[in-house]
Amino acid sequence: MKRIFIDEKYCIGCRLCEIYCQVKHSKSKKILKAFREGQPDILSRVLVEEIGHDSFAIQCRHCDDAPCVSACISGAMTKNEKTGVVVCDQEKCVGCWSCIMVCPYGVIKRDISSGKAASKCDLCVDEEVPVCVKNCPNEALKIVQFPDEEK
Amino acid sequence: MALELNQSEFTVERDLDKCIACEVCVRQCSNDVHEFDADDKTVLSESSKCVGCHRCEELCPTGAITIKKKAAEFKENSNWQAAHIKNIYKQAESGGVILTGMGSDKPHTVYWDHILFNAAQVTNPSIDPLREPMEIKTFICGKPENLKIEKQNGQFKLKSKMGPYLELLTPILFSAMSYGSISLNACKSLAAAAAEYGTFYNTGEGGMHKDLARYAKNTIVQVASGRFGVDRDYLRNSAAVEIKIGQGAKPGIGGHLPGEKVTEDISGTRMIPQGSDAISPAPHHDIYSIEDLAQLIDALKEATDYEKPVGVKVSAVHNIAPIASGIVRAGADYIAIDGFRGGTGAAPQSIRDNVGIPVELALAAVDTRLRQEGIRHRAAIIVAGSIRSSSDVVKAIALGADAVYIATAALIALGCHLCQKCYTGKCNWGIATQDPYLTKRLNPEIGTRRLHSLLRAWSLEIKEMLGGAGINAIESLRGNREHLRGINLNDRELSILGIKHAGEAW
Amino acid sequence: MNTEIKNIKKDYLIIGNSAAGISAAESIRKNDKKASIAILTMEKYPNYSKPLITYYLAGKLDLDRINFKDRDFYKKNNIELCLEKKAVMLNPQERFVLTGDGSKYFYKKLLIACGAKPAIPPIKVRDENESVSSLDREIGKIRGAFTLTTLEDAVEIKKYINDYSIKSASILGGGLIGLKAAEAFLELGININVIELSEMLLSASFDKTASGIIEDRIKQAGSNIITGQTIEEIIINNGAVLGLKLTNGNKIKCSLLIVAAGVLPDDAIFKDTAIKTDKGIIVNEKMQTSIPDIYAAGDAVKSYDILSGQPKNLAIWPAAVRQGSVAGMNMSGRPAIYKGGFLMNSVEILGVPVISLGLSNAEINASPAEIKVYIVHDALKKIYRKILVRNDRIIGVILLGAIERAGIYYGLIYNSIDISELKDKVAREDFGIIQLPADYRKHLVVGEGIEV
Repeated sequence: MKRIFIDEKYCIGCRLCEIYCQVKHSKSKKILKAFREGQPDILSRVLVEEIGHDSFAIQCRHCDDAPCVSACISGAMTKNEKTGVVVCDQEKCVGCWSCIMVCPYGVIKRDISSGKAASKCDLCVDEEVPVCVKNCPNEALKIVQFPDEEK
Repeated sequence: MALELNQSEFTVERDLDKCIACEVCVRQCSNDVHEFDADDKTVLSESSKCVGCHRCEELCPTGAITIKKKAAEFKENSNWQAAHIKNIYKQAESGGVILTGMGSDKPHTVYWDHILFNAAQVTNPSIDPLREPMEIKTFICGKPENLKIEKQNGQFKLKSKMGPYLELLTPILFSAMSYGSISLNACKSLAAAAAEYGTFYNTGEGGMHKDLARYAKNTIVQVASGRFGVDRDYLRNSAAVEIKIGQGAKPGIGGHLPGEKVTEDISGTRMIPQGSDAISPAPHHDIYSIEDLAQLIDALKEATDYEKPVGVKVSAVHNIAPIASGIVRAGADYIAIDGFRGGTGAAPQSIRDNVGIPVELALAAVDTRLRQEGIRHRAAIIVAGSIRSSSDVVKAIALGADAVYIATAALIALGCHLCQKCYTGKCNWGIATQDPYLTKRLNPEIGTRRLHSLLRAWSLEIKEMLGGAGINAIESLRGNREHLRGINLNDRELSILGIKHAGEAW
Repeated sequence: MNTEIKNIKKDYLIIGNSAAGISAAESIRKNDKKASIAILTMEKYPNYSKPLITYYLAGKLDLDRINFKDRDFYKKNNIELCLEKKAVMLNPQERFVLTGDGSKYFYKKLLIACGAKPAIPPIKVRDENESVSSLDREIGKIRGAFTLTTLEDAVEIKKYINDYSIKSASILGGGLIGLKAAEAFLELGININVIELSEMLLSASFDKTASGIIEDRIKQAGSNIITGQTIEEIIINNGAVLGLKLTNGNKIKCSLLIVAAGVLPDDAIFKDTAIKTDKGIIVNEKMQTSIPDIYAAGDAVKSYDILSGQPKNLAIWPAAVRQGSVAGMNMSGRPAIYKGGFLMNSVEILGVPVISLGLSNAEINASPAEIKVYIVHDALKKIYRKILVRNDRIIGVILLGAIERAGIYYGLIYNSIDISELKDKVAREDFGIIQLPADYRKHLVVGEGIEV
């Protein structure tokens, strides 16, 4: 499957990935409007960690053996067998946050604005390239084809 | 504290209808121009700190920022220009030399812009380089007096012994920039692009970082007055050795890398103690004459088993033609001439803007002189000091150069916006800085790709211009000044350049 | 009586249709496309998520949405689901399971994933009109008294509430099930009393501070909480709950009683067999029991607790899924290992999210030298974070309010990472991957594509 490869050496901590992720997952999908729509409405599903000059952006790794999928009590969190993408069905999620409890990357967020659904990277499945990758000015994020674990 | 009289140079305009307060500008500015106000949830900008590098403008996701030249001017005065007044204010406060970076921005004549190139019409056909072969491969070396060819078993063979040479797939090399003056990521980009394209980069006087050793086949190593990083392995781990006598931006001036910039990595590369000032003396203390230079050339050839070309880089000064003659006679395989518009990481502004001569005139003078003396073939000429486009390259070669060095153009390709603040070490583009927060902004993978594209683009344009003039090999253009015509130049300038005025036929 | 005994042969037989059983069936099917698989369950509903029954009770989910696998899961995976087939006897010698209707299910491999049953403390029952109370009456037989571990329980309770327009209820047990039930009742507008034997709510997995904040929140929502007490006597009238008498003598009127005093492994099927047990089935890391070809997983087993290094009953959903999956893999011939786990819980009660991981209140019975505690507590922002560290390793975590990135701690506990360099940062809200030791960070990230 395709995964986002993070190259910490070249993350410049500009957080454009977060901004474009927010826009992508906003109602209007237009940057100026998205930020006017109000802060709690849009959560970035990628997050930048930064201390001094070290920084990197991290989002769901779409693990092969995803702990969040096993921990999900509602069946909302599933790994798509074809695309390999781990997605959270906002309709099914009940907001128990078991996924948050077990994700060792800490990349699932508690989105209380849209009725208690865990918010996480969906790898922008409807885009050719995830927006965080597309808008990383220094190519610290790349989309790379990874060999499947099964084979 | 007394009032500071320095005026800000730029105005930061923020379109509040577009600003989403995302703070990208805040995080990207190393000069602390932008600041997020948590109470109002807005971003404020302090224009006086802006150096005009345009980093924030380029990265702003909504295009809310425009950096403009500050409109406020002094009362009009042709004599006391704003630059003079501002410099005096600065010096009245600091009592020091005014430093600057990059090449001179003064409006002296740029001769490239007064030279026009020829094209073929009717009497000789032009060539389409996309359909027909076009050779721009270039060799940097001395050439034998004459070619001796012998016949062996019915086959002709070259009998003359050729010296060591550099083979370039395009007549462009990356000029000397040391690790220290630019970031390691910038060095990596240059080295990798040179290797990928089939040309050369130059270590400058900073030694060779271990990460760059794998590009040795595409590296010209420099030996300068400080002899930083020079040892046997350094000399041998190269394609050619270059003795640096002078630099176009600061002829006659040495260099000074302050101790605080001599980090662990740089100290290892330069082979000096960490934290000690790296001082390049103004002269080489073992070179006081052409004979001394000849000794050093010999020593370096000896040290490299006569396997590598040894060149000499000098700045273009008034007496450049006889100096060049001496250098060739001292045994150099190439001579690099750096014009006064050449760049620098740091130089006193008074020197940069007022010392030396334009490289176009120096090149014409040197080429003419060496021809007159019958020694032009003994060394190649590389010119440097503000080659801005492929047409500058073509004009330089027609004026007599074998190849050109580019540095400022390469840095611009890497993102440099020519703010001229290299000496502050706060380059927001990750080029002229060693701050790890800033250097990571230059991803060498991207840098390499951009430099490679630039070389490719210029090479294509060079081929187009050659084809248009009906020439199918760059060798046929070299020193062929009949292809050039001057415009808006006086007789003296035309005569030094050795070209006719536009409108004059053969 | 039907004397005809049906003999049914299956390659894989699974007792239990919840997290462990279903995930085992799924793993088996992945490795073995042809074999026959059957799941026996005593319940009448196809797959549903047990932790969601209180959500059903609260009316947040209806029966159509309480499943955690698609409705066509069984069909798609060619798994035979046998509803209302209570396994009553296991014969390991002859390799069959006898169900309540007299059918014999023969197996090649068996998985026991029968889960847990409610623990019911001994409570006396007294008819209002009688003076003597007795211990003999089964709580389940009293109208208006319920346990709450199955969907059927929840359906019955809901029906009872509607049929009798219940306005007041008591809950025995201030654990997770009890409090989620309390939340459900509050949302339905029912007055409640929560009766908890220990001095605080959620005593198994949280500490005084965290439980105090939750207690305040529940009280604020209108509930009455009685700690340090239990029910001495249930008072009934005409077979229906009328009220309670507590150990301190106080009396409470209520027409609905939920007994949520914890769960115990359901031992009905294995207690009379040679399978080794110790308050749960003993399994090895392949989830094998002491009898060949019989595997066990989920709430009924004692698996391995990596924090104590001892076998432990890890009755939590994620462990059941993992164990089921490992059991299924081994059953179908693909070696897999369950390395063990530790207790953890995540829940949101009345808008307060709380997570506990590992030995989250172990400092109470340990010396300060042995277990170091790092706390960030912001009463104003309702944030409480506590990290317990033993031998430079995190062994327990409580997060309340700010729960984001809790899983990072899960990873640190699970992988037993030395955090001696991070002690001053470990409880902070901005604690993240970037602070972690470089090699762990690398291990964490390189596997899935991060270069450090």
